[in-house]
Amino acid sequence: MHLVRQIRQLNGLQGLRHALRQVSTAPTKPATLKYERDPQPLFTDAETQKLLQSMTQLHLDRVFRKRTVPDNSSEIKFMTTEQLELEFQSMVEKAQHMLQMPPVVKIKEDVDRIIAKDPALKDFADTKFVFTDITFGRRQSERKVVVRETDGTLAYASLDTTKRMNQLYFPLDGRQSYTPRMFALEELIAKCLTEHKYEYVMDRLLVQYEPHEPEFHNISARVFEHLNESKQFDLLRSTRHFGPMAFFYAWHRCIDDLLYDMIRRDYLQNAVELIALSYKIHNVPVEYQETLAKLDALHPTPAQSALTELRSGMRQPEGQQGIEQEIHSAIGKTEKDFTADEISLQFIEQYIASEHALKKVQLELAVQTLKEVNQEKLQLFQGLKKAHGIQAS
Amino acid sequence: MSLSPASGIGRFYAKSAKIIRFVRLGCTNRPFYHIVVMERRKNQHQPVIEQVGSYDPLPNDHNERLVALNTERIRFWLGKGAHLSTPAAELLGIAGLLPIHPRTYMTAWRNRRTAAESEAKAETTA
Repeated sequence: MHLVRQIRQLNGLQGLRHALRQVSTAPTKPATLKYERDPQPLFTDAETQKLLQSMTQLHLDRVFRKRTVPDNSSEIKFMTTEQLELEFQSMVEKAQHMLQMPPVVKIKEDVDRIIAKDPALKDFADTKFVFTDITFGRRQSERKVVVRETDGTLAYASLDTTKRMNQLYFPLDGRQSYTPRMFALEELIAKCLTEHKYEYVMDRLLVQYEPHEPEFHNISARVFEHLNESKQFDLLRSTRHFGPMAFFYAWHRCIDDLLYDMIRRDYLQNAVELIALSYKIHNVPVEYQETLAKLDALHPTPAQSALTELRSGMRQPEGQQGIEQEIHSAIGKTEKDFTADEISLQFIEQYIASEHALKKVQLELAVQTLKEVNQEKLQLFQGLKKAHGIQAS
Repeated sequence: MSLSPASGIGRFYAKSAKIIRFVRLGCTNRPFYHIVVMERRKNQHQPVIEQVGSYDPLPNDHNERLVALNTERIRFWLGKGAHLSTPAAELLGIAGLLPIHPRTYMTAWRNRRTAAESEAKAETTA
């Protein structure tokens, strides 16, 4: 008796799921911004990737922060300096791997691919048949799924059905066979966004949908639009979603808020890269390669700076180097940084003066403030150097 | 009956007749079939040589019947000269792996005839 009741309960639950699936067919509020042509060639371009990676930055404490996974345990080991150095390098490599960006591709259209039509087979059964090839060792993308309709047509299954069958026979960890309530119900996703759980939404989105699906485009665009309004860009910095976000803004000509945030946080190189990216996407005839090359020579790459940060935990040899290091850590900038800032500020001001900038006043103010702070820092830097008797190079 | 791995645990003679057939699993009023390769002379619930697919004859929520076929292994066993039971041959025919089985055409034709007859009957009574 008990068992029967349980089965009934389960059936009731299934009914609920069915209802949910019905809900999911009515999509959540569509985003207003869409990629009108294929962004993939521009996104996977080596130069763009380099710009996006540099903008993402690499903060190891952010990448390897505690997550809600079963095992967050750490291991303590004794190591020689050489072993430690190797470990540092492997850690940075691992971090770079974890920051790999999901691709930005266009929405894949469903096409009917009919294999055979056999009118003599009409009404051979009352439902259609779905055949999945479960041959060992195929990738999900190359698995064949075919459908025999009741009127005798044999055709390749739609993308939706193919995905469902793949998930049924070869389930991916964390992906649901039905639309998660979070993405199906408008109020739930709106709640997530107002609570600024952008990274969580994006991570879940990436697990649940492929980058070529319309739902992926829709929801990610919504997240980015919401981010652009709430201006909490720092929440996505040093995660794998920052690159696609910057690309999205550059593509849709709304980089100004992100740019303002970057200037305010004194990430001037990133600001220059963002402007360069938008010039590159919209084919604006401005020479940005030269500025970028100059800045690249002055600034270390994200991986290098992460490595130096790791190494700074170790004991340094004493001496002249020590004082300079101290001045550097007190002010937070070196001579190189000051020259790089000058170059970047020039480029940014050029952008603000052009017709591409929309929030000119705000950006100008930010640049002005930054300039004043920089001036003070430079004076302090020179004064300290003089006091310590270090020759200006 | 506990499940054996898809690679099978059935022992077989090299030259015995093999057959690709259904094994009825599931329970009362809820059929579910494994498509397997086994020695022809054996009973369906004896250990199989290899499982090459599954077939769920009851339609799901989307009103479709699901069939999984390991086409690579099926082609291998057919090449080895394995026989086919009629339901299995019908299913492979519908899947487009083999020519359509004559019995599928027969079923289709009979279904159409029954539908036409019932329609005609409904018209005369109306």
